Amino acid sequence: MKRVWSRSAILAALCVLLCSVPASRAQSQDFPVTTHTLKNGMKVLVQPDHSIPNVALYVFYRIGSRNERPGTTGLSHFFEHMMFNGAKKYGPGELDKAEEANGASNNAYTTRDVTVYQDWFPRSALKLIFDIEADRIRDLTFDPKKIASEREVVASERRLSVDNSNFGVLDEQLWANAFIAHPYQWPVVGWMSDIEHWTMDDLKHHFAMGYSPNNATMVVVGDVSPEEIFQFCEQYIEPIPTHEPPPPVTTLEPGQLGERKLIVHKPAQLPILMVGYHIPQTNNPDFYALNILRTILFQGESSRMYQRLVDKDQLALDVQSEVDPAFDPTLVIITAQPRQDVDPQACEKAIYEELDRLKTTPVTDQELEKAKNNRLVEFYKQMQTINGRANTIGTYEVFMGDYHKLFDAAKNYSAVTKDDVQRVAKQYFGPNNRTVATLLPEQEKAKP
Amino acid sequence: MSQAPRLLAAVFSFLLAAFLVAPLVAAQSIHLPPHEKIVLKNGLTVLLLQKRGVPLVAVSALVKSGAAADPASQEGLASITSSLLRKGTKTRSAQQFAADLDFIGGSFEADVTPDYTLIRSEFLTKDLAKGLELFSDALLRPTFPQAEANKVLAQSLDGVKAAKDEPRAVLGIYFNGYLFGNAPYGRPSDGDELSLKRIQRDAVLKFYESNYTPNNAVLAIAGEFDSAELRKRLEDTFGSWPSHPTTAAAISPAAPAKGKRLLLIDKPDATQTYFAIGNLGTAANDPDRVAIRVVNTIFGGRFTSELNEALRVESGYTYGAGSFFDSRKVPGPFEISSFTKNETTVPAIDLALQVLDNLHKNGLTPGQLDSAKAYIKGQYSPSIETAGQLARRIALDEFYGLGDEEVNQLEARIDAVTPEIARRVIEKHFPMDNLVFVLIGKASEIRPAVKKYAGQMDERSINDPGFWPPPSASATK
Repeated sequence: MKRVWSRSAILAALCVLLCSVPASRAQSQDFPVTTHTLKNGMKVLVQPDHSIPNVALYVFYRIGSRNERPGTTGLSHFFEHMMFNGAKKYGPGELDKAEEANGASNNAYTTRDVTVYQDWFPRSALKLIFDIEADRIRDLTFDPKKIASEREVVASERRLSVDNSNFGVLDEQLWANAFIAHPYQWPVVGWMSDIEHWTMDDLKHHFAMGYSPNNATMVVVGDVSPEEIFQFCEQYIEPIPTHEPPPPVTTLEPGQLGERKLIVHKPAQLPILMVGYHIPQTNNPDFYALNILRTILFQGESSRMYQRLVDKDQLALDVQSEVDPAFDPTLVIITAQPRQDVDPQACEKAIYEELDRLKTTPVTDQELEKAKNNRLVEFYKQMQTINGRANTIGTYEVFMGDYHKLFDAAKNYSAVTKDDVQRVAKQYFGPNNRTVATLLPEQEKAKP
Repeated sequence: MSQAPRLLAAVFSFLLAAFLVAPLVAAQSIHLPPHEKIVLKNGLTVLLLQKRGVPLVAVSALVKSGAAADPASQEGLASITSSLLRKGTKTRSAQQFAADLDFIGGSFEADVTPDYTLIRSEFLTKDLAKGLELFSDALLRPTFPQAEANKVLAQSLDGVKAAKDEPRAVLGIYFNGYLFGNAPYGRPSDGDELSLKRIQRDAVLKFYESNYTPNNAVLAIAGEFDSAELRKRLEDTFGSWPSHPTTAAAISPAAPAKGKRLLLIDKPDATQTYFAIGNLGTAANDPDRVAIRVVNTIFGGRFTSELNEALRVESGYTYGAGSFFDSRKVPGPFEISSFTKNETTVPAIDLALQVLDNLHKNGLTPGQLDSAKAYIKGQYSPSIETAGQLARRIALDEFYGLGDEEVNQLEARIDAVTPEIARRVIEKHFPMDNLVFVLIGKASEIRPAVKKYAGQMDERSINDPGFWPPPSASATK
């Protein structure tokens, strides 16, 4: 019931992703996408839909916290905020005011891999949006006063989503322990001491590194025609000069050699358990088998983990899994909230037993079919809004390398066999490959 | 704040130019797709809306009783009842229901608000027969097995504890409790640590029998379906739902809070204070509702709102600040809310009050009104884009007696809001001198400074069972 505007959704927002199985009607001809690559290297994808007089426009930049280094962690996310704080034509505060006065709204999110800008608007605001997007990509300015106040905003965001959220704290600690070499180890929002110390030069360097047109992909879905969008692109975006994209991230996380465990003590009424396993990056072929496995284990009240932990043994209030799209090998995270007076280790044991059962006994035909049906419904739910479609098409294009994969997913999910599920269970869900994070409630001390 | 006037002037001159085109296009754009209304013999109102695009069907049953119908000291009863619908029916165990629903990729959820319970399901068009059968099985034939009731009650109790670990999840519950006291809208919809221990299966059965009747419900279905086939299925599926008088009582309106009072909820490890300030708001059918929406958009309902500009953009006190009217059968709460680090608690609250004061002193300019009008119109269509959103919209408009005009006349009603109307609405509906404050934060750090806001100050620990009023006080009622 509360309204708080987010400009970034580090922890949530991405669950939408990458779980889809198109079948019969879920073919590309039902959602026709037209593409065009501008002379400066930016690829533009357009999918017309005239059912409402609105448009969703996304710009994906291939830069995120994996492109940062110690000392400036969180810079990509801070930069995302600064992209709303003034350029040559639309000065500080003017971008938002101009958009809202024309019926438009906006937001953005930053992940470990990408920074994504979103505009939602009536088609009458199309020209304005292109004017604004071009202005800030070409001529962003950095007002020291805005940097100072925005630094405080981001600190408040960190206090909200991490420091005063037990889930946020534990998730941050899990990533920091699961990765010892790769930049996925630091939080997208950044460590507080880094938030306090970024400089103007850091921001300028980040802009020069990440915000070249050839490092971006634009997706437009809604009440538009591809021709008019390409025309706007030609006029507003194409003249923006291109430069070198960010240097490749070459660090590979070495294979984990044994289980890692960590404990967070914090005032809390209930404990939290998170278990992370290393899995490959999104464009790996095991993507499909892993999603089928996760569906069988976690989706719905008939899923194995829900039946075991929540219903039958009544060990947990909730149990779920999460994978964010990633360019580099990443984590699947299982989160359970143990019930009052339940030892988190009992949850842990039950989770491992269910994982082991997958390794030793094939899943049933019924479970496999159920998982595929669920993926199909998920697909349609993502595709039923212009916003969901823009995000999903862009995410497939950027993380799979080709938006067609969205429409091939039917085929790819159908091809998953019981053996595949068993194989990925054995390959990725072993004890040496996991990091276990537990938040244990700490008794309140009497305060002076 | 010193920059604000310069920015406003610059932006508004730009707007006037850009604005000439925008409303023309948006003018006839907001409308509900045509839909039919049927009343079955047993009194059940059914709304059917065709929405093409993806092969999904959304079904919503709105039961006209919610948390406000919970008996005193049984807070959470409506919520528990709705959670148990799928946990055992005359033909299925909870496990069987889950298996059948999940196999078709269907969803089944229940939301309990103070005014109503909304039971929602979605599935593929090809599974319409199965989906409807499952939905009606849970709605019409639940058996409330004792073992399942025990489980759901125990889980809900832990759910309250888990929510208290996230201050922003419980701020509104404390605020409603402190504003409304023992009145129906003051009750925690999901119950609390004590009330959930008191709820028995018998009470659930009784709540179901009294409130889940066809003459106390609205069924709305939206999506891709064959209308003739669906109509027939509806008679077969819901026609046999027996009708009987409902005992659902009207909710009596609460009086606005007089003077100023402040509730401080101590969370000793908090590094940020979460605050809500407000008073009684409006009813869902208030004749001023569209004008209120326009004014609140400017005051605290969007990113460039006066509150967010002051507390986030200009000062950096917070990640977000806003205001909200939760309009219901009878006046619900109006609240301003935000959060800020412990050290800036007082400056941030002072600033929020200053923004409220300025709204009363300065009113709104035509330029501000034009901007808000364009914003509401431009953002509206995506809120009625999906089958699920449409089913909910038409069910709610039927329940609150607003009809299709609520959507179809929205643009005309927005256009009719003048600066004079806005001024009257501010005076009538936005509180000024009478305010209720609720803060969750580290009491030892902020207590001395926040005393200045109110003559009456109350305090509890977030770890104390219940919300507000404290259990001892409510037990005497």
